[in-house]
Amino acid sequence: MDAPLLAVENLRTYFYSRAKRAFIRSVDGVSLHVAPGETLGIVGESGSGKSVTALSAAGLVSAAPGVIGGRIELRSHRARRNLLDGLERYVRVKERDGRIMAVEKDDRGWRRRAEALMEGVRGKEIAMIFQNPRSALNPYSTIGTQLVETIRLHTSVKGGREAKERAIHWLERVRIDSPRLRFDNFPFGMSGGMCQRAMIAMALSAEPSLLIADEPTTGLDVTIQSRIVDLLAQLKTETGITTLLISHDISVIQRLSDRIAVMYGGTVVETGRAAEVLAPQAQVRHPYTAALLASVPSAEAIRRKSYLQAIEGEVLDTIEVPRGCRFYARCNRVTEAVRQNCAGLEPPLGEVAPGHKVRCWLYPAARNA
Amino acid sequence: MSRTILDVTDLRKDYSQRRGLISMLTGQERVIPAVDGVSFYLRENETVGLVGESGCGKTTIGRTVLRLTDPSSGRIVFDGRDITRLSRAELRPLRREMQMIFQDLDAGLNPKMRVQAILREALTVYERPSDAEIARRIRELLEQVNLKDSKLANFPAELSGGEKRRVGIARVLAVRPRLIVADEPTSALDVSIQAQVVNLLRDLQKHLGLAYLFISHDLPVVELVSQKVAVMYLGRIVEMGLAESIAHQPRHPYTRILWSSLADKRSTEVREPRAWGVFDFEQPVSGCRFAPRCPLYQDKGRPAVCTDPASEPPLRDAGKGHVVACHFG
Repeated sequence: MDAPLLAVENLRTYFYSRAKRAFIRSVDGVSLHVAPGETLGIVGESGSGKSVTALSAAGLVSAAPGVIGGRIELRSHRARRNLLDGLERYVRVKERDGRIMAVEKDDRGWRRRAEALMEGVRGKEIAMIFQNPRSALNPYSTIGTQLVETIRLHTSVKGGREAKERAIHWLERVRIDSPRLRFDNFPFGMSGGMCQRAMIAMALSAEPSLLIADEPTTGLDVTIQSRIVDLLAQLKTETGITTLLISHDISVIQRLSDRIAVMYGGTVVETGRAAEVLAPQAQVRHPYTAALLASVPSAEAIRRKSYLQAIEGEVLDTIEVPRGCRFYARCNRVTEAVRQNCAGLEPPLGEVAPGHKVRCWLYPAARNA
Repeated sequence: MSRTILDVTDLRKDYSQRRGLISMLTGQERVIPAVDGVSFYLRENETVGLVGESGCGKTTIGRTVLRLTDPSSGRIVFDGRDITRLSRAELRPLRREMQMIFQDLDAGLNPKMRVQAILREALTVYERPSDAEIARRIRELLEQVNLKDSKLANFPAELSGGEKRRVGIARVLAVRPRLIVADEPTSALDVSIQAQVVNLLRDLQKHLGLAYLFISHDLPVVELVSQKVAVMYLGRIVEMGLAESIAHQPRHPYTRILWSSLADKRSTEVREPRAWGVFDFEQPVSGCRFAPRCPLYQDKGRPAVCTDPASEPPLRDAGKGHVVACHFG
């Protein structure tokens, strides 16, 4: 395999919840890697930490205490560095019985160093598209102005006229009709789908090495969703851009990803090639992935008007992380042979097939890992 | 045959929009028909699904049939009684029989009240039961929505999304309604929790004989829970029929597009996108309101009948209770 363009190792990002008077371990030891030209899809429910993983990688976590530690290794042509290099000395975490008691963080020191590491990376090397395009666009300036600004800031194109031509070129690439007219439109005059296209144009116009797409279709109408997914698929073949795609919509992940990481309770519970992880009859699979796939109503279930296979219980809140497997309380596949392990010890990610890893005691790979 | 609980005829709801100073001075208003002549009925123990893109008027219908907003014209008959023009006071006793589950999980949950107090309040709105009776009913409600006793002491902020949804449903059930308008009841929830709530709503219907007007853009879920489905486009029902025929033998091109875009999202082949405009309330439509976006209209070589101002296609009977508003459907 190629050396990864982005390698995240043991990333931890915590927040403090005032309502619950406790620390939430949003991302709690996540490791992933994205090879050049590849799309890695992260799927999981809300609170699983998938968006926070992406925001951490882009250095966009602002709430306290935020990123605590780990490595975010970026290896592109223009930048090769660990985006969290030397930051651990600004943080100290006190933990007792799986509960975070206190986090001491020298926020100013951290921020100064982190921003220095992010220099020339955010927006330039790592571009992002968000769930709500309208809120990510500046309402007071035209689509064209915003595109030109991005192009002149992040690429070698500096001349005004040339930048405008580039901008129109990008509007064409994202299939916006009459791009010359749209160039002068403000975001409010455009539909949600159109704003998302403009957002994608803006992200790509910086010619980044990595695109992070955080729920790019959520909140759009079904008909528009399928158009945006089409567009992303086309751009993927045309530009070959490396993408980190985050979505709770399994169909979107399935359509666009080469590899998949399934997240639950702040950790990756399964990762592997998309075809393998989502194969309808897969024998080896994390019980959570299986349950997640089963809870989407199948054509067969709808026809027979049968009950949906719900995952009982609630999503883990990651305040008090259990000693054993994070999914143990909701798991319906625990056997007597492994129960003791499941309840008492968090399973490691075990390689069940080349490139396919599952964090579950049911598989010998975890016991040998 | 169970009895009809809600009968809506030619319902209209216009929203007016002032366009700034000039129109304010001249008194000119633009009228946007959010719901433009909609008729349907709902029987006890039955679910009618309402689907369509955002802005098509789904939620407005839900709010109007419950008289949370006043209709501009049309007739709403609830359980044999015309409620279209009832005053607030006259409506009050009827309100308990028709309830709404809102999309927003926090709607109706006072953040400063514990779950116990929220349920207690709901139980005492219309009745003055004894404390023992209240305790018994709260236990019953918790059982119905499958919520643990320990949650009674919690504030809404301490609940997860699924738990908030359950408390919201328990609160609605407390007044023993017969009709529930469920407006996107699952869209704010996680996939695994959605399945729990869908199962719960179906269970409650079975045991309590509730009628649901189920508003959602989640097509598989709508198909699963509904007996009948109405497809809306720009304030009108363009097709209505049994859930399985809407999903598998749609006759209106818009219905076909809706369900096929669901399949498109899953397929892995890359297709060139079709020209696909965006609907616009503000553009006056002449003839069929879907024509500007209609692939059939293009394929048929833009027949004049589709844009003839004198003939917006009416809903006509296509057999087996299936109605469709298309010249060619």
